[in-house]
Amino acid sequence: MTQHEFDPRVKQLLDGELTLADLPAELRAEGEEALRLLAAVDRASVSVPAVTWRVMAALERRRRRLWWLAPAVAIAAAVVLLLGRPSTPPTTLSATVVTVRFVLVAPGAHQVSVAGTFNRWDPSATPLVRSGTADTWVATIALPPGEHQYAFVVDGARWVPDPAAPAVDDGFGRRNSVLTL
Amino acid sequence: MQGETGGRSDGEIVRAVLAGDRERYAVLVERYRDRYARYAARMLGSADAAEDAVQDAFLRAYDQLAQCQDPNKFLGWFFLILRNRCFAEQRKYRSQVSLDAAAAVPTSDRSDVGTETAERRRALQKALMELTAEQREVFVLKHVEGLSYIEIAERLNTSVPSLKMRMHRAYDRLREQLRDHA
Repeated sequence: MTQHEFDPRVKQLLDGELTLADLPAELRAEGEEALRLLAAVDRASVSVPAVTWRVMAALERRRRRLWWLAPAVAIAAAVVLLLGRPSTPPTTLSATVVTVRFVLVAPGAHQVSVAGTFNRWDPSATPLVRSGTADTWVATIALPPGEHQYAFVVDGARWVPDPAAPAVDDGFGRRNSVLTL
Repeated sequence: MQGETGGRSDGEIVRAVLAGDRERYAVLVERYRDRYARYAARMLGSADAAEDAVQDAFLRAYDQLAQCQDPNKFLGWFFLILRNRCFAEQRKYRSQVSLDAAAAVPTSDRSDVGTETAERRRALQKALMELTAEQREVFVLKHVEGLSYIEIAERLNTSVPSLKMRMHRAYDRLREQLRDHA
């Protein structure tokens, strides 16, 4: 037994199997040292209230990602163009028009379009086409600077807002995505 | 470790979530997050790391919920997921773990705790971080969580003599560390 090792009977004290009174007199000081160690144990609770909403928000984000991904790409592209340092050759058609690429991942969809203030909310005006993987749909259109509201239309019937973009109430119980160029 | 007796049981909630009522999972998170945040904080030496570990463990548990063979024992099953997460974190950052991290466990700084007590707590938490994860775990479960050796053995699927051996080594190392820090 080295000088740092507690006597086995003191370890029993720490385990709660003996009391200080059970120890022989020569072990009392060591026993008291051991009890001081236990007295320093911090049993205070640790509260992490944010975990609940963080977990549920992560699950919700995951669920949405199954259906949609990328309109954020379109917004990023628009931002790059507005900042005047495009990573690819400029796609602006003129000084007052910005090219925006809409991308939607919609597993199982047969038809996808984007409808908004820029095409008088006509679901047939701006269809997306399949690109890359079978679930990815893309459309590239030119829009004037300003604020545009839009939504995707899946299979001609389901109106889907962009979860990655700000949204506003359309006054009829649905949410429209907002793109500001 | 059965589910709560008040309100819906763990088993009922797990079955509801598996049946598609995803929002119900929040009840389980709410019910157990703080209880295990303390374990994780003492294991990782950091309240922030504990929060991340608990969050990640709940997400992993959700992903694997169908593998929870007895939904009524969700708590014990979840604990093992969190434990694995804490041990993995320990291995990942072992070389980066700073003893100062121990001071990040916030309860030592509570205003109702005297300076001397707070200092002793910090010293012990630093010493705990010097133990192996296995030694630290048995100390935390017994002396922080208040479990008996039998309860710990059931939870970790091991034997009481094995746990005692681990704990007694931990006592000796703690004594050495605290003397060095004194």
